[in-house]
Amino acid sequence: MTHPLLQIFDLNVSFSSYGRSTHVLKDVSLKIEKGERVALIGETGSGKSVTSKSILGTLPDNARIDSGSIRFDGQELFAMNDKEREALKGTAFSIIMQDPLSSFNPVFRIGRHLDDVMYFADKRSGVKSSAKQRMARISDVLRQVQLENPERICAAYPFQLSGGMRQRVLIALALLHRPTLLIADEPGTALDVTTQSEILKLINQLVDEEGLSLLMITHNLGVVRQTADRVYVMRHGEIVEHGPFREIFENPRKDYTKGLIEAIPPLYGDGVVDQPVAETRPIIKLEKVSKSFEVKSGFFGKKAGYPAVKETTLNIAEGEIFGLAGESGSGKTTLARTIMGLLGPTTGRITVATHQHGEGEKVTPLRELTQIVYQNPGTSLNPKRTVSETLSVPLHFVKLPKSEHRTRMVSLLDQVNLPESYLSKYPHELSGGQKQRVAIARALAANPRILVLDEPTSALDVSVQKDVVALLQRLREELGLTYLFISHDLSLMRNFCSHIAIMLKGEIVEQGTPAEVFSNPQHPYTRALIAAIPVMSDAEEEQKPKVSEEERQQFLVQARS
Amino acid sequence: MSVIGSDEKVLSSRYMQWYRFSRNPAALIGAVIVLSVLLAALFAPYIVPHPDHAGAVVDFRSRHAAPDMAHWFGADKVGRDIFSRTIFGFRISLLLVFGVLGISVPLGATLGMLAGYFGGWTERIVSGLTNVMLAIPPLVMALAIGNVLEPNLVNAMFAITLIWWTWHARLVYRVSKSISAEDYIEAARMAGASNFHVLTREILPNCIAVISVKTTLDAAFVILFGATLSFLGLGVKPPIPDLGSMVADGRQFLPEKWWEVLAPGFAIFYATLGFNLLGDGLRDMFDVEA
Repeated sequence: MTHPLLQIFDLNVSFSSYGRSTHVLKDVSLKIEKGERVALIGETGSGKSVTSKSILGTLPDNARIDSGSIRFDGQELFAMNDKEREALKGTAFSIIMQDPLSSFNPVFRIGRHLDDVMYFADKRSGVKSSAKQRMARISDVLRQVQLENPERICAAYPFQLSGGMRQRVLIALALLHRPTLLIADEPGTALDVTTQSEILKLINQLVDEEGLSLLMITHNLGVVRQTADRVYVMRHGEIVEHGPFREIFENPRKDYTKGLIEAIPPLYGDGVVDQPVAETRPIIKLEKVSKSFEVKSGFFGKKAGYPAVKETTLNIAEGEIFGLAGESGSGKTTLARTIMGLLGPTTGRITVATHQHGEGEKVTPLRELTQIVYQNPGTSLNPKRTVSETLSVPLHFVKLPKSEHRTRMVSLLDQVNLPESYLSKYPHELSGGQKQRVAIARALAANPRILVLDEPTSALDVSVQKDVVALLQRLREELGLTYLFISHDLSLMRNFCSHIAIMLKGEIVEQGTPAEVFSNPQHPYTRALIAAIPVMSDAEEEQKPKVSEEERQQFLVQARS
Repeated sequence: MSVIGSDEKVLSSRYMQWYRFSRNPAALIGAVIVLSVLLAALFAPYIVPHPDHAGAVVDFRSRHAAPDMAHWFGADKVGRDIFSRTIFGFRISLLLVFGVLGISVPLGATLGMLAGYFGGWTERIVSGLTNVMLAIPPLVMALAIGNVLEPNLVNAMFAITLIWWTWHARLVYRVSKSISAEDYIEAARMAGASNFHVLTREILPNCIAVISVKTTLDAAFVILFGATLSFLGLGVKPPIPDLGSMVADGRQFLPEKWWEVLAPGFAIFYATLGFNLLGDGLRDMFDVEA
């Protein structure tokens, strides 16, 4: 009789912390056949990672397995002793970690990381191997993950490699011992979209060639379409729904799955929303603005200018949602900070409403005009201050009398759909979406005309993202705000922005309305960027611009250097 | 409409801190010891058998008396009850702790916070100054000051304070520097907050945990240091009872009259241990590095 490669029956896991017990996994059942690609999707805290840790046997000490069983290749994992389970790690299944930087010890070279894993696994299984033999095997695996020149990689320290290369090394680490099941925990989430798409291609290719099974853990439904045959949807520790991915995506049975799928902004097709283009006078004008940072090389080294923004000229009309897209390090944030008056331009001239600042002039932050909402609401709110204390700062600044503070705070919270009772809460008592609402309320408190949104939704789950975006849209209509929206999430920008500009290495390479840019991208980089976005359906995939292999490689290399 | 509601119960940080603290026996013992020392010092005249022995009393009949019912820990060379004097000795030790830490902690924390937040020249001056001060051994400094000025309690306090603020400056500097880089500091500045507001309302609350842990641990060191100074004769003048000078006095009669150093010696150990345990417990409770 054949049995599935991995089978989980009614697994219940609970965590006890601070004298309370929380039921984290509730009757989770899951099956992976040999050679199958299975995706486990769910939002933050749904229990995806706990499931993978239960399989690997790396649950923290305060976790307790209440009932259930996990069978790998017909063997019951919970019946094994520690040594037997230990032996399975790396050889039967292995995991590709999420964060390519923190998974490496910065003081050791890459080769040391790989060799250590190999050495101890060999020792465990009683195989004698010389350093040279191990190196040969390591080189093989590194070539497998498409890293040319294994010697150079092995001699490098983790920080010397790009994010994409580190992620590849992590995959190599997982492949060292030819596991049969590969668990990928949000691979490439921390990377740029073009690099992420390369990583996913690589994983797919490896699974194909080596006949591996794959358990893909992710919250990105676009990724699921590319890398899974079957899908399990998880929520609050329960499997909500499962089935072949096509069935789940096209005909979701449960409301939760439907909501999850609808929350994803489409890139092409009927669902796409075109925002009205603002036909007003520009409120922000940039004329040939450059900004370079001085980088000292060495202790007595000369100061060299590193150009973050190069000769940028652009106009943002009042009432517009101006999207600034680009990958990390492209100069988006620097440009926004220059507009806000937090940084002075090295050359060029900036006009915001009636205020001008240019080359060599002392800049002051344009607090009355511009306010900012940061990417991560977890770090942009002071953990030691309540919501009302946080909101009182800008109110104090606009010289609102103390007696009117409370009324204004309540109306601010009302604008972002939070009840009055939240005034006395501390940030840790709020969810991610609620924190971001408070951050938006703080930005609105000083009555700015321009709001800079620095990836305001990238730290949030898709369903929460949808709410926050709807809120921002409503606020713009009610208050007549102008948004400068910085993001790398192009499918969101397609639907949210009325004008979009693509930045590459400090330059704006293309701009126009989203409809124009997406249907007929001119610059090869824009094409490569759009092509790399994970989308939800085949129809959308077909409408993506075609990119030649050459062009794709060109921009990958650029992004790496 | 939200698809996912957040129905997760959020534990308040106070509850988590109390949970960690109350499940830590060492921390609880430390708290009890510190509390007992504070109470003993505060109510010394009411709890000791011979409150008058804290002063210049001479009772030659019980000179060097061994421990008995009248003198639980014996009597010293002029017949004063050692137990009574030890309890009174806590007063001087704690006075030193409050004096030294009451000045050096606010001073060090303020300078450290300014240096961490403003950077630039403020940072260079403060860190330069702390480096210089830390290069001077505290005992040498205290001896120098005690000899140049006059060897008394105030000067001993002054000497310790002069050195001590640097530790707090360094610690708070580190915390303040990392907090200054947080988004919420820039957000507060964008919202129009003044430097004073940022320092006192945004940064300081995030430093309180570290400061209180360090201060508690410091109390133990100050007690030890104060005892060392008075052992060397740089502290309190007789007849005021002080733990360090009592050990110094009793030392001449070792090993026959062992009880004369036992009580003050043990008292130093007891108070130091209490503050250390409490400090460690607070560190685990606040989950900070200090």
